[in-house]
Amino acid sequence: MHGGRYLASLTLRREDWQPRVSKNRFNGLLHMLTGYRLMYLGATITLGLGASAKTGTYLLLSYLIDNVLLRNQVGEGLILIAVSFIGLSLLEGGFTFISGTLAARTAEGTARRIRNYLFDHLQRLNFTYHDRNKTGELVQRVTSDVDAVRRFYAEQAIGLGRILLLFGVNWVALLAINIKLGLLAVIIVPFLAVLSVFFFGKVQREYMRFQEQEGKMSTTLQENLSGVRVVKAFARQRYETDKFEGDNFEHYRRANKLLRLHSVYWPLTDILAGFQMLAGYMFGATMVINGELSIGSYVAFVGMITWIIEPMRGLGRIIVHASEGLVSYERIAEILREEREPLTEGLRTLGKPVRGEIAFENVGFRYESGGAVLSDITFTVKPGQTVALIGSTGSGKTSLVNLLARFYEYTSGRLTLDGVDIRTISREFLRANIGIVEQEPFLFSRTLRENIAYGVGRDVTDEEIFAAARAADVHHVALSFPEGYDTVVGEKGVTLSGGQKQRVAIARALLKNPPILILDDSTSSVDTETEANIRAALERLMRNRTTFIIAHRVQSVMDADLILVLDKGRIVQRGTHDDLIRQPGFYQRIYDLQARIESELEREIASV
Amino acid sequence: MSDYGFQEEEFESKFNGGTFLRILEQVKPHWRWVAGFVASVTVVSILNSVFTMLGMRIVDDGITAGSPTALQTIAVYYGALVFVQAAFVFIFIFLTGILGHRVQYELRQKMFKHLQTLSLSYYNRTPVGWIMSRMTSDAQRIADLVTWGMLDVTWAIINIVTAFIFMLTINWQLALIVFTVIPVLVWVAMWFERRIVVQYRIARKANSKITGAYNENITGVRVVKAMNREARNLEEFGGLTDDMFGASFRAAQLSALFLPSVQLISAVALGAIVLYGGGQVEIGGMTVGGLQAFISYVTFMLWPVQDLARVFASMQQAIASAERVFSLVDASPDVVDKPESYDPGSIRGDIVFDDVTFWYEPNTPILKGFNLTIKQGETVALVGPTGAGKSTLVNLVCRFFEPQQGRILIGGHDYRDYTQQSIQSRIGMVLQTPHLFSGSIRENIRYGRLAATDDEVVAAATLAGAHEFIMALEKGYDGEVGEGGNRLSVGQKQLISLARAVLAEPEIFVMDEATSSVDTLTEALIQRGMETMTSARTSFIIAHRLSTIRRADRILVIEDGGVSEMGTHAELIRARGHYYRLYTQQFRREMEEAFDKRETGEMEKIPA
Repeated sequence: MHGGRYLASLTLRREDWQPRVSKNRFNGLLHMLTGYRLMYLGATITLGLGASAKTGTYLLLSYLIDNVLLRNQVGEGLILIAVSFIGLSLLEGGFTFISGTLAARTAEGTARRIRNYLFDHLQRLNFTYHDRNKTGELVQRVTSDVDAVRRFYAEQAIGLGRILLLFGVNWVALLAINIKLGLLAVIIVPFLAVLSVFFFGKVQREYMRFQEQEGKMSTTLQENLSGVRVVKAFARQRYETDKFEGDNFEHYRRANKLLRLHSVYWPLTDILAGFQMLAGYMFGATMVINGELSIGSYVAFVGMITWIIEPMRGLGRIIVHASEGLVSYERIAEILREEREPLTEGLRTLGKPVRGEIAFENVGFRYESGGAVLSDITFTVKPGQTVALIGSTGSGKTSLVNLLARFYEYTSGRLTLDGVDIRTISREFLRANIGIVEQEPFLFSRTLRENIAYGVGRDVTDEEIFAAARAADVHHVALSFPEGYDTVVGEKGVTLSGGQKQRVAIARALLKNPPILILDDSTSSVDTETEANIRAALERLMRNRTTFIIAHRVQSVMDADLILVLDKGRIVQRGTHDDLIRQPGFYQRIYDLQARIESELEREIASV
Repeated sequence: MSDYGFQEEEFESKFNGGTFLRILEQVKPHWRWVAGFVASVTVVSILNSVFTMLGMRIVDDGITAGSPTALQTIAVYYGALVFVQAAFVFIFIFLTGILGHRVQYELRQKMFKHLQTLSLSYYNRTPVGWIMSRMTSDAQRIADLVTWGMLDVTWAIINIVTAFIFMLTINWQLALIVFTVIPVLVWVAMWFERRIVVQYRIARKANSKITGAYNENITGVRVVKAMNREARNLEEFGGLTDDMFGASFRAAQLSALFLPSVQLISAVALGAIVLYGGGQVEIGGMTVGGLQAFISYVTFMLWPVQDLARVFASMQQAIASAERVFSLVDASPDVVDKPESYDPGSIRGDIVFDDVTFWYEPNTPILKGFNLTIKQGETVALVGPTGAGKSTLVNLVCRFFEPQQGRILIGGHDYRDYTQQSIQSRIGMVLQTPHLFSGSIRENIRYGRLAATDDEVVAAATLAGAHEFIMALEKGYDGEVGEGGNRLSVGQKQLISLARAVLAEPEIFVMDEATSSVDTLTEALIQRGMETMTSARTSFIIAHRLSTIRRADRILVIEDGGVSEMGTHAELIRARGHYYRLYTQQFRREMEEAFDKRETGEMEKIPA
């Protein structure tokens, strides 16, 4: 597939667009054309050649009238001319086609490259960026803004070229025929151009108002539809209908306002253009009568003048739309300016299998904006040991484990894996050696099979997938669907329960088979039976791996080799379960709580 | 959005005469406007041909005859006709545009009104996005067909016909030659349009896949990173952008080939004119002006032909749009008032489920021969896992659905004897994720009773416990809640919808408690508001909080669509069944939650 080759070249060349995203929008748009610039130039040149061929037709017509018809030299000359007409049309058509094809290839090709690049760019921006930005907003930019830029190349830039070339070529030809006539023919053009730019500027403003109302109307509609139970519960159908009617009518009114502008502009320019033509006709005709101009030239003039005036009426529209393309470019450039996370930078291997010994030495982490998230974290985990992190919401448990895979970079101290500072190890390698099971895992809109095999960088056999699924206690879930492992899950597919999702994530991690494991085990919303199943699956998964558990309950940390109690980003207590229940502090409080809950529960139940 | 699975297949319906007639019916009330714009565009189109004729006269009567006076006469006609044409251009743009917006407005109005009468079941099976598209893009397509489409067809046909008539008057033999070309032109144009439409459709599909891929990859970016999937995802994405590139490029290339092909055909006609007409000039059968007019007619015949092709290509789509719109308008509500139904004035009294059978899908009954009596003023708590059918029961009471078999009696009468309005307007409802409408807080509360004074709104808010937080907001009651209430927290939204229900002074109260965690203070306020509402009126609470459950007069445990247990708290605890398990589980969870809140110091943040 040619796409594959193209992509290979994209990744191999390790394109970096950051330097291309210049402050100047025109420069930036030009930079994005890299590799297509010659093609685009070709499109413009052939466009000009096409326009010239069109003008040639009128010049040929002039020759036909003056030198053949009026001199009575019909005969074979006529055949030649007839053939030439067809020939010129072939030329014009050929050039137009080439120009259109080149422009399309440029615009679509550039758009494809921008799309691919943005897709890759976004998945390589760090967590901090994604924390900061809303998905909807980003998707908006990478779809509609990219499309606006594509249209800039495909329609506006080339359209502007077309107007200018048609004007230029025909005007030069007119001037060559007769200077006076040539000058007269364009008197109206500056007025028309200014009027057009002014008008479309105004239309643009009205159009925004119209769009705004359209947005408002669809909000009302959307709210009515999604709030249908409320509308019905309060029996507010009349009220809703009135409200919608108000918005709908305002929409209608603004549309008509926009319409009024158009209904004035077009006839007005009709009059201007009409009189320009008339003046040209009269002046030209008088010149012919006075013998200053040949009749053939006159006929050619009449033909060409249309191609000067007509395109000018749409000039403003193209300029307005082009300016939208510039705005969109800027919105894309904002994303492109962001620094990527270098995935392969650093050690690609430690030279020997990863054992999973992890040491935190006075590790600290703070956001660029300043707030300290973690400070003075010091502890060591031996290969195969289990560390449990416990603490209230926002105490820094999740941030701590996020440092391990270099999702965030720690900002002070030293964090090592098997004695090597993780900042010298490539992210790719680190992440290949860490498995993560979240409480509410994200499943992709793919089949169960693909979701389980998602993180394995190789082809996996069905047997391996089934084995992982069995160990994760999700095999029977898969088989309960008519399509088995080919059942599509995720947003567009079958909805799995929280517990089922978690077990898919466990199967995923089992298949990946990493030496280091991170489990998020905060308050579980799954019911008691499934909890037992999950626990058994988790135990199978944790065997022989260095494991970090983000825990919420004492039950899930009791067996840990080391329990760290975090508060406001610091380790406030450490030890094993047996150590900690004897120390006053958070752990004891939470342990006591569990006991108290049970006794209170018993009392409650007994009291009824 | 979960619009998938209901994704509209691209209707590729055959021409359907019935639908077409029904589309025409939409403009029937406005036939005068239609007549107006058809007449104006006819005049404009005829004048186009007349201008060409005048151009011929300038050459023949003015130039060739050497008569400046003839020129002047023609100039006067020409100038006058420019104004006349401009006037008619104004009229047709104005009428066509207004009518287009009017038709859209009316279609939307009709659909909206109809939607208000449809039952909840319609909304359950129809995604909001689907309805939205019917009311926006489909309405527009239909309106475009009967206005601009009709205009283009009129313009094109009149243009071709008048041009042909004028050509006949100039030289009938030549006119007949030209005439043979027209069918070829139309055929070629249609050929291209059809193929271009197909490519666009492919491109649109690829585009929605691209958007989906962006969306998923950004939402799941954390998993992508953890699994080192960047390279493979980019490769897969590259396949999508390749498809998009392929289809868009082919569409653009076809468009680029379209015009030249049509032009070439007319160039052949032009060659024929030159050959034949040129010979005629010599023998006096044809003038130079006539030749010029012929060339002009042939050159500008391209546009009408293109327009015709475009309208016919878009007609299929418009008809498909119309079929979808009509399917919405024709959808009949499941719950319909009997003709003799009436407003009883009050719906106080016992609610009795008498041998009720109900299903959404015929093969999976939710309730079967279900009997239940709820005493006037009783508070019923519904508990059980998500999706077990708790809201079904409530929906039946509210008569959003009706039982397929058996009866539901309110105050001793089958509630089908009453109007829906009379039942639903006396029910107050607070949803789990409360639905608010864009607008101020005051407006949202007043939704409960539109005639309420500002004082009454405040009183209701006070009673519901919402007053304090509202006053703490910058703009108080005039503060905007944002789209769907997104500027407020879930707890705040519940308080406002409680106030809304309080203001409505309902006879039956329905509440679905929030599952997501709400801060402790708000939680307490909601509890208090709920107590106010449930005292002295029949209430149904879909309960998630222990305090709510315990306070209920009766608890229904709903599992797998049936009532598995029923009784008071004490009875059910003693029974040690489902309820007992649910209760103990919830007890532990709530205690832990409370503990976590205390540890994060939330209590300190709340002002006393």
